[in-house]
Amino acid sequence: MVNLNPNVGSVFQKPGATGQSQKPAGSKDFGKVVENQLSEVNSLQDDSAAAVKDLLVGKSQDVNSVVAAVAKSDMSFKLMVGVRNKIIEAYKETMRMQI
Amino acid sequence: MKIDGAFNAVDIAISGLKAQNKSMEAISSNVANSRTTDIGNGTPYRRVEAILKAGEGDISGVELDDIAKDMSSFTTVLAPGHPQADANGYLMMPNVDIPVEMMNLNLASRAYQANAAVLKRYQGMVNTSLELLR
Repeated sequence: MVNLNPNVGSVFQKPGATGQSQKPAGSKDFGKVVENQLSEVNSLQDDSAAAVKDLLVGKSQDVNSVVAAVAKSDMSFKLMVGVRNKIIEAYKETMRMQI
Repeated sequence: MKIDGAFNAVDIAISGLKAQNKSMEAISSNVANSRTTDIGNGTPYRRVEAILKAGEGDISGVELDDIAKDMSSFTTVLAPGHPQADANGYLMMPNVDIPVEMMNLNLASRAYQANAAVLKRYQGMVNTSLELLR
């Protein structure tokens, strides 16, 4: 096969060969970025849940730390939900696109 | 205290809450012991004060430096009938001044409220930013 346009030609190549190397260097996989952020939000949620539980059980007396953990997890969760809604919106927009 | 990260304002406000909590504890101890004439070694209770210091860095939280004892002299009252009074009938009382403690209590509780207000306002700011996503 004669490859006139290298960019078009890369589509026909097997994924993992040269097709993957077309991405600019230093860019991360979007899925990985989302996954990392999600796990961070999740760990904050776990922290706040553990803090609340410790307080209610009586293991900890420090109300302020619980407030801090809950405030952080609340804010990061809201951010996560905001980004998620934006992503879903973008996905829907793409799906609605006329080809 | 670390100053890198997205939750600086939260951590700093919480450190303020904790510090004022400690001040409140010291004041509470002073008020509770304002008439304690013997703390076990024959001397009256000595007033304490929470000394706060800033954390490391230009922007930092506050932390408890020390619980310092107030070394001012004890007050003496004439109480000849009191079992702990000296030969002349005088009794040593703690160097706690209730009006001063009330003033410090007001300051501590106002500062606590201020830190809570900062935390709340910061949360409001973050929410305002998140509104932009919609």
